[in-house]
Amino acid sequence: MKQFLNIIIKLGSIDRRYIFILVGLSVLIPLIRPIDIPIRATSQSQDVFNALDALTPNSKVLVSFEYGPSTKPEIHPMSMGILRKLFSDGHKVYATALWPDGIFMSVEALNQTEEEFSLEYGVDYVNLGFRPGNEAVVKGVAADIRTLYTSDTRGNHIDDISMMDGINNINDFDFVFSLSAGYPGTKEWVQYACDPHDIPMSTGCTSIQVTEVLPYVEAGQVKGILAGMPGAAEFEKLVNIPGEATGMMAAQSFAHLVIVAFIIFGNITYFLKRRSDKKNLGEK
Amino acid sequence: MLMKRQIPLLIVIVVGLITLFGHFIANEGVQNFVDNDSTQWYDIIASFAIFLGGLNLLKLQLLKIYKKQKNWQYSILAVVGFFFAITVGFFFRGANTISVTGINAEKVEQAAEMIAEETGESTSSILSSISDPSADYELQKIYKTHGGAEDFSQKLEAYGETQIEPIEWGAHLSATRGETGSLFNWMFVYIFTPLSATMFALLAFFVASASYRAFRIRNFEATLLLVAGIILMLGRVPIGEYIPAWLIGVFFVMGLGALLAPFIKNRKITLGIVAIGSLIFLIIGFTNGWNPAIPGFFHLPVMQEWIFQVPTTAGARAIMIGIGLGIVGTSFRIIIGIERSFLGEQ
Amino acid sequence: MFTIEVFGTWFAVFLTLAIFSYLYDDNPFYKAAEYIFVGVSAGYWTVTFFWTQVQPNLFGRLWPSLETVNADSIFIKIWYGIYNIFGIFLTGIFPKGGIVGHPEIRFIYIIPLILGIFMLLRLVPSVGWLARWALAYIVGMAAGLRFYGFLNSDIMNQIKATVVDFSGSWVSILNGVIIIIGTLTGLLYFFFSREQTGVLGKLSKVGIYFLMISFGASFGFAVMGRISLLIGRFNDLIEFSSSSHNYATFWLLAIMIIVLGAWAFQKKSESGEEVTN
Repeated sequence: MKQFLNIIIKLGSIDRRYIFILVGLSVLIPLIRPIDIPIRATSQSQDVFNALDALTPNSKVLVSFEYGPSTKPEIHPMSMGILRKLFSDGHKVYATALWPDGIFMSVEALNQTEEEFSLEYGVDYVNLGFRPGNEAVVKGVAADIRTLYTSDTRGNHIDDISMMDGINNINDFDFVFSLSAGYPGTKEWVQYACDPHDIPMSTGCTSIQVTEVLPYVEAGQVKGILAGMPGAAEFEKLVNIPGEATGMMAAQSFAHLVIVAFIIFGNITYFLKRRSDKKNLGEK
Repeated sequence: MLMKRQIPLLIVIVVGLITLFGHFIANEGVQNFVDNDSTQWYDIIASFAIFLGGLNLLKLQLLKIYKKQKNWQYSILAVVGFFFAITVGFFFRGANTISVTGINAEKVEQAAEMIAEETGESTSSILSSISDPSADYELQKIYKTHGGAEDFSQKLEAYGETQIEPIEWGAHLSATRGETGSLFNWMFVYIFTPLSATMFALLAFFVASASYRAFRIRNFEATLLLVAGIILMLGRVPIGEYIPAWLIGVFFVMGLGALLAPFIKNRKITLGIVAIGSLIFLIIGFTNGWNPAIPGFFHLPVMQEWIFQVPTTAGARAIMIGIGLGIVGTSFRIIIGIERSFLGEQ
Repeated sequence: MFTIEVFGTWFAVFLTLAIFSYLYDDNPFYKAAEYIFVGVSAGYWTVTFFWTQVQPNLFGRLWPSLETVNADSIFIKIWYGIYNIFGIFLTGIFPKGGIVGHPEIRFIYIIPLILGIFMLLRLVPSVGWLARWALAYIVGMAAGLRFYGFLNSDIMNQIKATVVDFSGSWVSILNGVIIIIGTLTGLLYFFFSREQTGVLGKLSKVGIYFLMISFGASFGFAVMGRISLLIGRFNDLIEFSSSSHNYATFWLLAIMIIVLGAWAFQKKSESGEEVTN
């Protein structure tokens, strides 16, 4: 028994590379051999869905891409889900980006949806692209979008794009959706565009950002929130179009289990060690 | 002194006040400046700040190579990477497209087959795109070199009139056609993406190893943190649905026992509370056919939702208001010229 | 067929594995990838910021297309003469006939151009202080924007939202009360953290509990996010290990393990020699 306890205590200070291997396997195995776990939507994801679902057809929705390759696995499935929902409901999408990487993300997502829904560029959607300046850009979109964007990502002049007719500032949009991975992102849209001009908005953001944005959600400034990759999977379930995130949930679940097991086991070794240290001290 | 300190201070105060109170000044010029030009100036200057960052990095890396400091060999890679990005950004777009017009109506299928082989699409999808053979059709492929485009366009000449067109400067950054893109886009997809994505993914391993080695239940506060974290981690993912609520209930009773233990002298009472509590949850589980969702409050997704919407919101809101007050205070001090740390040393 | 895209795929797999090799130890593969990342990102940022703002919205306002500008005066002719000189060297940035977009020349935009150049002068030690003028604009405007933004969205609206709706169910009333207690005591902790005695001390202790739960949630979300990113990366590696990519992942993984093994062995024997010496 004592030897067994000693082994457990020793495991507490194991080389971290073994932990790396276990974590790697906990993600890799469910990816190679996926299992189907039914997904249930949280009330925040349901709120996002309801907010988008309530839009009258032909609404003008500004979708801002504030993420890049570093957080693509979390946000990109959301982008796809959101765009699919918007296009299948017949809304017009205006894409912008507060991050330079956002252009590449929006081009990829919109190219794919263009194919899926046989969309026409400049009629169903337009990709305005990135402008540097963080909150000043949001302020610029709120005040006058046409002086900020004179052309789109394809080099077309704004005046030549038919769906830009009558779009001058944030008040001309019916809804704002921020796909956000940090600063600048959701917070800036709330502070400088949607709160002052009373435009409804919603967000899909990285897990790490969730607690930062949460007070806005609970205060109603933001309508619901899609939280990380599980949030994306929940949205895929709500719109009933299985996408990339749904298939990843087994790996996500399994890895969480492994990490929770690590935490619990780590604490067991901690208690055993503390007890044996005390005992040793007592013996001395 | 005047140039180095007073003028910058004046700029800060004037710009800050105009940004904040510009809307109250009933003057068209001021209004226009506040709404449009002032933010545009900010965007432009911010862009120059980025250029400064790039140039500064280049200077540091070049100095490192010049002085042969430790690891200077790697700095060559950084410099090469920088110049590669600059080259494909400003000097060599590597983005040529071919369009073909007036395809002979009888030869449409042959032309489509040839294009399909070149671009990797299916012949049928190309045929559906060429609804009107006499109209302009752009190939879904970007040629990195003009020569490469010319080779194929010459072959295509047999079917119709071809034209090679480079993608416009500026639009070349994110230009893609099918699986191919401009050189800048190539750099983004095959160099920037794997590097930045993997850098971030690497942290998963370190977070895991930190949770194993560093998260210890040392006191009540740490316990709260860990329990909230674990419930969230399990409750947010689909697997949380299948962890039985009665089992969580039993854990809860045990935790309660551990918390109460120091306050109750008689060990038998503590043990009794734990035993009876556990039994109650086991009975609840048994009578409901071990349904994982009963009792409701101990079901992980439900617990997670409550923790998220109530105590976490309260804590996050306190943090938000606290930080907000700090930023508003600092901004105010900057605007009225008290806070001058951005001016640096004398 | 060997194309630049095929090469790109192999290179991307190599870079991914090179970064992951840091899990074993800091090594030349990782270092090389890290430095490439630093260099490429700096260039990437410079290029994108130039093409999305400086070219269209600064140069585009200083030299808009001649189709919309009346170029009769001698001054305007000289002005576009300067432009044409730039255009000789950089036809992409300064296309013939001006930049299409803005309808009229805005000479006032010389001010942000000068401030921008001042910013770059940071690199010249003797006149580096001029960068403060540009920095002052950024700082002043950010302060003005944030003062209103945070006051309105993060303070006023949050306080407004922290009320109990007594018309709701008893559960929602209870939750509302808990949120009020948590928010107030949390703030108490921030502002009276020094006084840990008396009633204030006890209340701020309650505040700590709420903050801890909040941090716990943040921790849970942090784990969740990192795992998702790892899933994304593994997904790509799995895709590139297929036969359609010529098993790129497997080949490169094998080569890297061999090289790293040799490198580690060499390092070990070197340090061993040092000890014996």
